[in-house]
Amino acid sequence: MPFADDLLEQADELAFKEQTNPKQASLRRAVSTAYYALFHLLIDDAVSKWAVERQRSILARTFDHGRMKGICDDVVKAVKGGANLPQELNIVAHNFIQLQQHRLTADYDNAKQWSRTDVVNVLALATDAFNAWRAIRTEDAAQDYLLQLFLPRLPRQ
Amino acid sequence: MNFPAAIAKQPQINAEITEVVRLLAPDIVHIRYDIGQDWSGDWSIFFRVLLSDEASRENNLRRVTKQVVGKISERLDFSGLGLIPYFNFRSQSEQAEMREPAWA
Repeated sequence: MPFADDLLEQADELAFKEQTNPKQASLRRAVSTAYYALFHLLIDDAVSKWAVERQRSILARTFDHGRMKGICDDVVKAVKGGANLPQELNIVAHNFIQLQQHRLTADYDNAKQWSRTDVVNVLALATDAFNAWRAIRTEDAAQDYLLQLFLPRLPRQ
Repeated sequence: MNFPAAIAKQPQINAEITEVVRLLAPDIVHIRYDIGQDWSGDWSIFFRVLLSDEASRENNLRRVTKQVVGKISERLDFSGLGLIPYFNFRSQSEQAEMREPAWA
């Protein structure tokens, strides 16, 4: 199973690790892992196109969370503005932004109390993004999106 | 620090949220929110949506949360307001145990 799918499965296991009274540690790790599942789904797809396999892990480390968020925000705004982009790409971009903020909160905000309902919704965001991505990953719009995740701005064509 | 347009439009935001709660009752009990900056410094609106226990059941949850996000996004122009929306959800029985004032 690809690493990203393993992470998503692990996030689900963490969310339900305790039957009742879930520990905050389990819920917070579930949220963080769900974000990284989507993060790796996208970057693994992107670096898989690099021909020199031994360099892919180096390339993967160049992805910047902030830049990825900015590109996702551009997609969401473009779709809202009527751009001709697949709805699935909008789901990926929208859910990526949500998951990223949830992950930062889960990892660094000790005051935030997570409920299982909240975490189940976070897992659903990740699952929906996985499904949406796999439905369009070979389309031009998805390929351009992956390239933009590397590049802050595409050169004018 | 440049404040977003939303700061001056909270009465409009409140009115739209009240309407969304009315439309989605009894699944939605109430919605609270704060305006602030997200991790990267972008102005954002953080919604806390309290759901009924029935709406929070596994077979209902995704449908209900999508409805909430959809209805709020239809009614509030987040780009125009200069905000990124974020959503958190909790059931009534969870809140009864957790007793967080911000969710009350």
